[in-house]
Amino acid sequence: MPKWAMVIDLDKCVACQGCSIACRFENNTPAVKPSEALQGRAVRWNDVFPLPVNPTEETGEYPNVTVRYLTRPCMHCENPPCIKVCPVQATYVDEEGLVRQNYDRCIGCRFCTVACPYGVRYFNWSDPQWEGSLREYRTPDRIEGVGVLEGPAVRPKGVVEKCTFCIHRLHKARAQAEAEKRDFRPEDYVPACVQTCTGKARFFGDLKDPESTVSQLAKSPRAFRLLEDVGTHPKVIYLREG
Amino acid sequence: MLQVDPVDREKLIDPLFRTGPRFWLVFLILLVLVGWGVAFYVRQLVFGLGETGMDRPSYWGVYMVNFIFFIGISHAGTLISAILRVTGAEWRRPITRVAEAITAFALIVGTLQIIIDMGRPDRLWYVLRYGRLQSPILWDVVSVTMYFLGSVIYLYLPLIPDAAILRDNCPASAPGWQRRLYTILALGWRGNRTQWLRLEKAISIMAILIIPIAVSVHTIISWILATTVQPGWHSSIFGPYFVVGAIFSGIGALFLAMTAIRRVLRLESYITKQQYRNLGLLFITMVVVWGYFTYAEQLGIAAGQQTEEFPILASKLWGEFAPGFWTMIILMIAAFWIQVVPQLIPASATRLPFFQPRFALASAGIAAVILLLLVVPEAQPITASLTDILPSMFWWGLFILLVVELGVIVSPWLKERFVLTTGLAATCVVIAMWLERWYIIVPTMTHPRLIPYATYLPTLTELALSVGSLALFCLMFLVFFKIFPAVSLWEVAEGRVISEARSKIEIPPPEPVEIRRRLRRISLRR
Amino acid sequence: MAYPMTRRQFLTMTAATVGSVAVASGLETLFTPENAAAAEGVLQTGSRETVVPGVCLLCPSGCGVLTRVSEGRAVKLEGNPMHPINLGTLCPKGQAAPELLYNPDRLTMPMRRVGARGSGEWEPVSWEEAVQLVAGRLDALRAAGHPERAAILYGEARGQLPSFFRRFMHIVGSPNVVSRESLNTAGAKLGVYLTQGVYDTPSYDLENCSYVLAFGASLLEAGPVPQRMVSGFSFMRRGRSNRGKIVVIDPRQGVNGAKADEWIPIIPGTDAALALGMANVIIRSSLVDGSFINNYCFGYNDFPDETETRLIQGFKNFVLENYNPDQVSEITGIPATTISRLAGEFAGQKPAVAILPGKGGLLNGTIGGVYAAMAVHALNALVGSIDTPGGVLTQRYPKLRPWAERPADPVAEMGCTAERVDGAGSLFPLARDAYQAVADRVLDGYPLDLLLLYDANPVYDAPGGARFVDAFERIPLVVSYTSFLDDTARYADLVLPEPTFLERFEDHYLEGLGYPGVGLRQPVIFPRHDTMSVGDFLLKVAAAMEEPVSSAFPWQTYQGIVRYRLFDIGTDWETLKELGVWMTPGYLHARRGSDKWVHEVIGRDRRFAPRDGYFDFFSRELKCIVDALDPSERARLGLAEAGDAAFLPRYVPTPFAGDEKDYPLILNVITLMSLGPVSAAANMPTLQEISGMTVGETWGSWLEMNPHTAEELGLVDSQEVLVESPFGQVRVRLRTVKGLHPEVVNLPYNQGHEAVGRWAKNRGVNGLALLTPQSEPVSGLAAFTNTRVRVSRA
Repeated sequence: MPKWAMVIDLDKCVACQGCSIACRFENNTPAVKPSEALQGRAVRWNDVFPLPVNPTEETGEYPNVTVRYLTRPCMHCENPPCIKVCPVQATYVDEEGLVRQNYDRCIGCRFCTVACPYGVRYFNWSDPQWEGSLREYRTPDRIEGVGVLEGPAVRPKGVVEKCTFCIHRLHKARAQAEAEKRDFRPEDYVPACVQTCTGKARFFGDLKDPESTVSQLAKSPRAFRLLEDVGTHPKVIYLREG
Repeated sequence: MLQVDPVDREKLIDPLFRTGPRFWLVFLILLVLVGWGVAFYVRQLVFGLGETGMDRPSYWGVYMVNFIFFIGISHAGTLISAILRVTGAEWRRPITRVAEAITAFALIVGTLQIIIDMGRPDRLWYVLRYGRLQSPILWDVVSVTMYFLGSVIYLYLPLIPDAAILRDNCPASAPGWQRRLYTILALGWRGNRTQWLRLEKAISIMAILIIPIAVSVHTIISWILATTVQPGWHSSIFGPYFVVGAIFSGIGALFLAMTAIRRVLRLESYITKQQYRNLGLLFITMVVVWGYFTYAEQLGIAAGQQTEEFPILASKLWGEFAPGFWTMIILMIAAFWIQVVPQLIPASATRLPFFQPRFALASAGIAAVILLLLVVPEAQPITASLTDILPSMFWWGLFILLVVELGVIVSPWLKERFVLTTGLAATCVVIAMWLERWYIIVPTMTHPRLIPYATYLPTLTELALSVGSLALFCLMFLVFFKIFPAVSLWEVAEGRVISEARSKIEIPPPEPVEIRRRLRRISLRR
Repeated sequence: MAYPMTRRQFLTMTAATVGSVAVASGLETLFTPENAAAAEGVLQTGSRETVVPGVCLLCPSGCGVLTRVSEGRAVKLEGNPMHPINLGTLCPKGQAAPELLYNPDRLTMPMRRVGARGSGEWEPVSWEEAVQLVAGRLDALRAAGHPERAAILYGEARGQLPSFFRRFMHIVGSPNVVSRESLNTAGAKLGVYLTQGVYDTPSYDLENCSYVLAFGASLLEAGPVPQRMVSGFSFMRRGRSNRGKIVVIDPRQGVNGAKADEWIPIIPGTDAALALGMANVIIRSSLVDGSFINNYCFGYNDFPDETETRLIQGFKNFVLENYNPDQVSEITGIPATTISRLAGEFAGQKPAVAILPGKGGLLNGTIGGVYAAMAVHALNALVGSIDTPGGVLTQRYPKLRPWAERPADPVAEMGCTAERVDGAGSLFPLARDAYQAVADRVLDGYPLDLLLLYDANPVYDAPGGARFVDAFERIPLVVSYTSFLDDTARYADLVLPEPTFLERFEDHYLEGLGYPGVGLRQPVIFPRHDTMSVGDFLLKVAAAMEEPVSSAFPWQTYQGIVRYRLFDIGTDWETLKELGVWMTPGYLHARRGSDKWVHEVIGRDRRFAPRDGYFDFFSRELKCIVDALDPSERARLGLAEAGDAAFLPRYVPTPFAGDEKDYPLILNVITLMSLGPVSAAANMPTLQEISGMTVGETWGSWLEMNPHTAEELGLVDSQEVLVESPFGQVRVRLRTVKGLHPEVVNLPYNQGHEAVGRWAKNRGVNGLALLTPQSEPVSGLAAFTNTRVRVSRA
């Protein structure tokens, strides 16, 4: 079983937000009304923002100003705080290390959104809306089963959603491999944000395989993880600038 | 046919069958308020939780605060009826039922808050179907359910003899359904010895069982917060802190409830100064312990000055949350003051010219002015450290001095009115405890790690639902005591018997004998 | 056992049952491990899925896209891995393209104005009517012998389209085909044109470059070809073993400065001085590329004039005399030591290249901007980075099949010789286009009968665009060809719906890599509305016109034209359609002095100066143009007093509009990666939502200001402020940004529309409305960062 992980090289990232929007169109997260957006209810599973987020650390004085930009998918932690608190197992880690979210199971208590220190979990405060003809472009992809609804499936109001590492693409890749009568290769599976990254700053692969790009990059002296001190052991690894 | 003391009948039973317009008025008002809440809940169901002021990162808001608050209130019952019963405090007898009623109803309303807060209430049963005991929410479900069942049983058991009494003593005018209700509830109580023994045993077992459960309930609620890694919550002190707060607010609620009932039903002869004084003493202890915990909790954060935690404390001390936070502190101090200081002031002191309304007014006025001058300039930035506010320390000092003076002046006046003062103190505490929950939940919510600091403002929906919940609580209370006596008939009667027996014990005249023997004699007499 | 159950037994049993049920129900998931999967779901997806290649058109990059079409609906765009500009990647604009295609505010049919201009009352017309209307008007003009009274103003026209516009108008007989360039890239193009002799935005070989000096406007967000720059940037950072250094010189830090290795804030409009100061250091420390300077450059050393009587001062001495680091430090506000260090790094870490912006930055809409562009480009020449690996590349284009000979037609020939409506080449001797000037010229009495606006929104995007509304009053027939009823289309007589770039055939040259290539746009779905591409429309118009125009275009559709023109690019049409792009990869550097060098690299587009393969430090081209003018003209243009120095790259203090005392701050209109330059993008909710990422704003405009400046003005972050220039005022939210020169304030571009659609309308403010409407007299450039403003509490 592979262990999926992502490496993001902040030295190559140009904060274009391509990942954010690729995710949006891959996973059916529409833009919210302006008023809602101002209220902080915009849903972008992979968000991009400047660091520091809050005035908790110095950024220097003109002209020696240091601004960093961070792109933040779900960390798919090895030790996720979110799944521990879920009362109904709507969110859980599967055997490939993906932190999954089942919209059909979620009761909307929002304990996971509160427990996640990265703020990657989003709640459907109301039914997602595509104004007028915009609904035309929604992708038909979804993962369905008895009591299971995952991936880009359009969410009902009142449930929590989050970055899935484009789990449906994993399913597609497996199906493809099967159709082609060959073994599934980890390279077959690439989330939308990785595919679209304008700076080619994102890498995705199997962390278990020591030869994989992500494993190699994870060894880099520039490698770090977000909020390492909270002990979540993210499977998204960043490479520092410069 | 069980007999009942004519006084008790006249005071406690008859009112149950006399329904005045006042009752119906209150009943209607409460009903309307509840209706208001329901209407907004339906709205929220249709349009989603977007109707509330909650957002990212403020995922939890007023509903959660109410939940913790009401569950806290529910600890009144346990404390009075269980702990006092176990410790055999006789004075508890007249107020046990009120306390137990509060418990049961507060639990109902508290649990309701969670359902209101859920994005998918239709999936509530999933908690049983797919429940994961690893989740603190499940712990909570379990302990609250147990506590509720326990409390209901515990409310019901002492009710059995009373139900029997009512069954046998309700006037001819009583409606049939009521008669039937009593008959059913009485479970064929005849008041024979075995029944009494069973009842006593059952009650004493429940009394002991319910204490650990009660403690667990609020500990677990605190753990819901403390088990996360969120700044400001990830604290080991939360368990005891919440329990103390719960019992504290419980007493507060009990005070209000019993005062109300005392007033409405003219029960001065039952609920006497003794209950107030003894509860008052408990109350004072609780204020102190609460204050200690609060200080201890904040000190850790203040001393740590961690980049994630400190801004939260700062926002309370001098940030956007400062006004409410300090209101809470002041209310608590006031509660403490009202209970303690008047007792310390010798009656002779009141003759001093110092104790005059005009001084009180004067100091109040000046204090207000200073406060304005201090508060009006905009709040310091989050990053400001304590040293930045030192210059204004002097003025703060003066302000506090004046307030203290004010307090001292009004003390004698308070001293004469113990019911009013306790009512006052209780009100302070109940409000303060609600605020406390708010300042535990909201600041952490609005100061997350990787999301910009936000502000949380409840909407009309949340207001309506909160008011509705409170109204529902009062309504249940009202209806319950329309059907059952506010004071446990048999317990009071039993109390009288016991005190009578006690009074019969004649104390021997002091003799010139050495201590040991005297002690022995007394012990023998016991 | 037949005895009645006692109450107690009953109770116990009930209790027991209830209890066990409760426990049992809990038991199932009581001890489930945290990672146990729930019932596994299966993938559901659309049947009938296809992928159609195309080329994005939401910014000038022209990235190759693959559109996933599921059940006849375009659901997702991905980058085309075959396309060398974006190499399979795609930026947020491209990703959000479905919101353009399925936008509820798109124009659905041709419409004719019924009410007064701008009244917003329309009636639908058939395409035939529209064609007849335009064709009739053109015939009438030709009949009247004034075909030049028809004009086309175009914005994002790519591939064959500009050429086709010119062809069409030439056949009709009008020289008036005006591109939007004067608003953006013209400044840079002129700089290169006057030195290297190539009128084009240069390409840069970032992949092989080890030191990049990026002058002005953030190349990563708003360069001439943003995505190309991003690709190169990330490759030179981490795509190879030795990491190149990137230095950004810009008053604004922005994303580009934040991501660069070094950000050097400079006083706006003084880039020329900095470049020349660096040149000064490079020359003094003799780090120049001697062989290139001596063999392939003109005017580096002093040289005799035509009469051989006196020496004209060359670049070298001019720079040594006037631009030593201390003087430059005075002008630019950059420490002399820094200037020297940069010069050393630039000349020392070859291959190094100095990059020109596509818009903004040093290109501030004054002649000084053109000189600055020359100066920056001269730096490349100094270190010999012209057409070398890791240096400047000259953009080549696919081999095209030429248009057929123009039919003999006196009317057309006469019309084509007329003066252009925008004054390019006449009023503005150096200009190729003067988009924004059209309004003034028409108001000044240039007779125009028919104006076709193609993807042109001058009312919004030209400084002082409001004048176009007045100008339209003098034009009997204004036709706006656009996908949205934008700010300008509102005032048109005829509005024709353009299919989006996902619904039409069109080619799009690869630009920014040097080597020739072309991408192809094609309909990914059946057009959603009753639209027609402008090419097809003009062909119909031509066909509906009288001889000889009607017979001049033997094609039925514009697709046919594209196929004809691209016949020789080296592949067949089917392959091109299948791949979406075709190129001849690998840039072939010209050997210095070779024919290729002379014909393609140096002096390719010179009109007057000799195409002798000499890089001009002393611009002979400019001299020829200026010498052709009579003295009074020269005086008017302010080129007289500078003497021969006027033909050398030099620093000219920016003549700001607005007095420094009343208007202490300089306004810079910044283009964002999110909203980009295309008006329609402002009506895409997703792009609106993410537009303010850097400052945490969303759905609107904001004014960026240095916190110190704000403090001095007594302003605080996030408050409403009033921004006033001599030409207008706007109310907007202030956001303090540390990484910004204290004298500069920024307003994001592409907000504050008066139309376009529900999401764009009346949202935010349009910074261009504050800029001076004056065009630069020599080059016809539109104003940009040459206007001062004041900011006060609203």
